[in-house]
Amino acid sequence: MAKPRAKRKTRAEASTRTRRNGERFLDFRKIGAIMRKNLTVILRDKTRLLPLLLFPVFMIVIFGYTTGTAPTHIPAAVIAYDHSPLSQQFQETIAQSQTFAVRSVVSTEGEGRKLLDAGTVRVLIVLPAGMQETIDGGGQVAVTVVVDESDSAIAATSRQVLTALTDSFSARLSQERIAALQRDIDAAASTLRSTALSQQDGYATIGESASAAEGSLVQAAALIAAEKKAVTGSAPPPTLFIPRTIPKGERFVNAGDVSLVETTASASAGAQADLLNRALAFLDRAAVSIGRSVSLAGSSAAKGAAQQGYQAQQERVEKPMHALRVFTAYAPGDLRSPIVYEEKPAYGTGKRAVDFLIPAIIALTIFQGAVMGMGRAVVGEKREGSLTRVFLTPTSNATIILGTLFFYIIFELFRSTFLILFAVTLFHVQIEGSLLAIGLLLVIYAGVSTGIGMILSSMVSTEQQYQGLALLVGMPTVFLAGVFFPLEAMPRLFQILADFLPVTYAAEALRDVMIKGFGLSLIIPPLLLLLLFLAGTLGLLFVVFKRDIE
Amino acid sequence: MSRNIIDIQHLTKRFGAFTAVDDMHLEVREGEIFGFLGPNGAGKTTTISILTTLIKPTRGTAIVDGHDIREDAIGVRSVIGVVPQSFALFPELTAEENLAYIGRLYGLSEAEIKKRSDELLETVSLSQYKDRIAGIFSSGMKQRLSLAASIISNPKILFMDEPTTGLDPQSRIAMRELTKKLNRKGMTIIYTTHDMDEAEKICDRITIMDEGCIVADGTAKELKKLGGETVIEIELAQPDEAIVVELQKLRFVTAAEREGKLILLRVKRQENIFYELSDFFRKRKRDVHEIRFKEPTLEEVFIKLTQKELRD
Repeated sequence: MAKPRAKRKTRAEASTRTRRNGERFLDFRKIGAIMRKNLTVILRDKTRLLPLLLFPVFMIVIFGYTTGTAPTHIPAAVIAYDHSPLSQQFQETIAQSQTFAVRSVVSTEGEGRKLLDAGTVRVLIVLPAGMQETIDGGGQVAVTVVVDESDSAIAATSRQVLTALTDSFSARLSQERIAALQRDIDAAASTLRSTALSQQDGYATIGESASAAEGSLVQAAALIAAEKKAVTGSAPPPTLFIPRTIPKGERFVNAGDVSLVETTASASAGAQADLLNRALAFLDRAAVSIGRSVSLAGSSAAKGAAQQGYQAQQERVEKPMHALRVFTAYAPGDLRSPIVYEEKPAYGTGKRAVDFLIPAIIALTIFQGAVMGMGRAVVGEKREGSLTRVFLTPTSNATIILGTLFFYIIFELFRSTFLILFAVTLFHVQIEGSLLAIGLLLVIYAGVSTGIGMILSSMVSTEQQYQGLALLVGMPTVFLAGVFFPLEAMPRLFQILADFLPVTYAAEALRDVMIKGFGLSLIIPPLLLLLLFLAGTLGLLFVVFKRDIE
Repeated sequence: MSRNIIDIQHLTKRFGAFTAVDDMHLEVREGEIFGFLGPNGAGKTTTISILTTLIKPTRGTAIVDGHDIREDAIGVRSVIGVVPQSFALFPELTAEENLAYIGRLYGLSEAEIKKRSDELLETVSLSQYKDRIAGIFSSGMKQRLSLAASIISNPKILFMDEPTTGLDPQSRIAMRELTKKLNRKGMTIIYTTHDMDEAEKICDRITIMDEGCIVADGTAKELKKLGGETVIEIELAQPDEAIVVELQKLRFVTAAEREGKLILLRVKRQENIFYELSDFFRKRKRDVHEIRFKEPTLEEVFIKLTQKELRD
């Protein structure tokens, strides 16, 4: 017991000594005191503490959902000019992708454009008329895609995923086709082999043609097998890569016999066609010979039996012939990619990301400017007492509120004009829609923003507190406005939150007018909504804006 | 004589459980400089804020020049002016622009504003700085400009909330002179201050507030009678303990003590004391060099009444 007490004493003495000697380089007791003071200060200032805690939570959630992960459930519309099973299949593939949520299937592009203009959907996928027919006939079709550029992340993801989806769908289709061809040709080869064997005596012509055709078919089958290998042997979907030529020295296995065929040179498309044409010619001759042998059969009974047998054989020959014709009819690329991805611009021509960014930036800067500016305008004047002096004059709240509001509306109009002129001069941004509509939107929206700023500043008493609050309100707006981060990638809660932000509607409506060239009549719904916001904001402002300086 | 320009009845203000002003009754007469004294937290600022319609009372009311503060705030605002503790003007605006802005909020015409602001800038000796931005002004200049802004509407009543706090002696004197000048022109002035000396110098009547209540009310002279005892300093040729003991036996003396050559007496009254004391010493054949009466200071009265030091 005595010992530690003695120790403590010496330590106390030591500290007295150092105190007497002046300051120490590191005084942990004082460091502790400073830390404790800061903790107490921050814990007592709840209005500052809360934003400080909530802000990082918000940031983590936002970035956690938007960084690295592509947006999902992008609203899309399918314009189906074709209602074939193939078209259905393609739509299912899109629906299953998770990237897109097919909101509606319409039958004309006009209807689709309306949905795109309204912002209901971000992507239009046009399935062409006679899709199945064309592909079955050996042709190639293009799936046309119209992407709304307003959100660059969404546009990029849409493009990437749709290209991959189309490619992989196309590859699967070509695999199926090649497999079917292979089956047909194998069957034809075996038929012809048996024909050749059975006709060797007496009907040499048939036999020769058949065996020659078989030989060609065997080679064709090998080629198709190589084709199949080329298709399946590559990386799996969604980023399917199809080599344009079969690599040099490729070995492939004869499907019929067990002989190895080695191509010394690349099997060019021309060589393939040549080989297949030869097989076709032999098949033609075999078919002709079969036909002739039917007519040459002796007795009527024998003739009948032979005819049936030959007809069966002929059919079996004709099937691969058809398949081969289809195969040769394909341009080499078409077999491999029966469906290709094509894109059409959404609005006008040559709209770039910057064109879509400008309206959003205007909407954001107005909001941010108003919210930040009100710190000085209301809280600052309140603290300095100049607002109190105004309160002492026979001036009503409404007068004070409207005086502040009108000024900032004009100020924001001026600021936006400057921004637009800057964008026009520097980035050659073109304003498509009516200037009146833009002006009207800006007036109402600046009113809403200033009102919100005034409400916030009526709720706090110091500029520091206001900064915290403004940060808490202002920064999430940047993220939730859907300008830099796709809203579609965020949790449902955030999407709902965004629905309650005036910036969402202002940015969209401004974009509609500036980029899509909407007239005043087309932006009436967002305009009314913003007016509603204005009414709500002013109503709340009149309630919270108190003269009481308690 | 003169009518009551402010009449406070049952005025009460509570902030939650805390009562800042407790059932106050007070009258201010037209044309007087009325001093409002009290320690910090006594309820002075709250009372002023209620009278100037910045906050609403919990109970009771006040009639300011015929306008009820509860029912006719606008009426009240049109007859009062307030010089706040802080500058409370716009440092980015010039002296003249500041006055014009406040003038417009009072609804004055541009011609009136021009006339008034020229007059007022002259009154507060800022004419030559009228085109300078107020932000660069010294504290004294700012306070003078603030005063000018407060009276641009030519109010009947001017509230001055510690107008000299933080000013240098010259500026203090200037402020006091201005206040008196305005009062001579007929303006009723409600003056809060911490400076007892100042209150005594310029106020016709003083009210001392503490914990939401009025503790005393009257002229400086009247207040001094209420508080503290008069101290008499007697300078004797040879003071000794015996004489102190004898002095203590006198009817009007409450306490006597010796401090070096001085004898300090605390007395209950002042009348006839001089004669009685002279008589006392003559009888004992003592040489008296001097008998000095020391009146209690307002500060002493204040501390006695509120049991608090004036500043914090």
